Amino acid sequence: MKSLLTNFSAPVTERRGFLRTAAGLALLAASPAIRAQGRGMSPVAGVPPAPTLALPDMDGKSIDLARYRGKVVLVNFWATWCPPCRKEFPSLGRVRKLFKPADFEVLAVNVGEDAETAFSFAGSPDFPVLFDRNSQAMEAWLVKGLPTTLVVDRQGRLALRAVGGREFDDPAIVAQLRELLKQGNT
Amino acid sequence: MLPRLSVALAGFFVSAAAAHAAGDIEWRYRAANGAVSLAANPLTPAQRIAFYLARGFSATAIRPYADACGFSFSMQNGGAGTLSTRLADWRAIGMDSRAVRLRLPAEWDLQWDKAQVPEAARIAFRWAQFQTENTFEAGDWIMGMATLESPLQGGFRLIARYQDDKGQHEVTLNQLFCAGD
Repeated sequence: MKSLLTNFSAPVTERRGFLRTAAGLALLAASPAIRAQGRGMSPVAGVPPAPTLALPDMDGKSIDLARYRGKVVLVNFWATWCPPCRKEFPSLGRVRKLFKPADFEVLAVNVGEDAETAFSFAGSPDFPVLFDRNSQAMEAWLVKGLPTTLVVDRQGRLALRAVGGREFDDPAIVAQLRELLKQGNT
Repeated sequence: MLPRLSVALAGFFVSAAAAHAAGDIEWRYRAANGAVSLAANPLTPAQRIAFYLARGFSATAIRPYADACGFSFSMQNGGAGTLSTRLADWRAIGMDSRAVRLRLPAEWDLQWDKAQVPEAARIAFRWAQFQTENTFEAGDWIMGMATLESPLQGGFRLIARYQDDKGQHEVTLNQLFCAGD
């Protein structure tokens, strides 16, 4: 019995590329059972372009998402009063350490609070903490609740989303991030 | 063997999801419908006043919210599909069968507007509520506060309706009491 793939008439190299992409997309989705456990992240339908994001950091310096084009960027919307945000926050630093700074960055977007309040909880993490004081960025990113985390791929598109707390150094999420990093290199 | 294994695995996934939804919080009320779980804790007026005073509300402005029958909810989709909720569809049913809806965050916000509550406090309030409409992908879970539109005497049940590709479903929390009842 011939399978659909053996009937595929493209050249071998293209076929390999197709298979690699298909396997990559399957990996990116993570298994439903893993995601149902609240461990993985969900693929964003249609992989739309990420909205703009330019916000002040703890020092008042404006940070623009556009400067990270070419990297995979994990954007986490949070607040200090949100229990699951506080619980998952340390894992943002841990996951950042798993990848090269040239490939991956974390942006933690605090919603509605000031730098002093955020600093009292987060200290000075290794990644930028940005301030969405009027929650307009949160609305532009169609965030409906805290915490919400989106992953932007190397092409500046929304690739993954998670609503509710996660441990971002969970092997399931790390595998999804590795796959996104690989996709940008092919 | 296989069916037993899959039943055991299904049980593991549901219980793992429920444990995750609980986070570090002890929930007084819990219920599930298949892989969808809902948990609630009654919130006392003092808890809510303390929380919102720290977010920029005045004691006078937050008083009506603090005095309403209020809960913190946590809902999780421990299944593989997508589901959605509309808070307007949820009902509390009293012992006398009276149905009471939940007050929507936008309705409170109108009140904050009239009371000239500072913008930062309103933003914190808005995002601390169980949102009016939510979409849960596999594994997503959402926490938030909500209040009943009017008080119910004694115990009541809360019917939380949700939608998936198979239609409308509900998960019911039984024997709820407002804090202080």
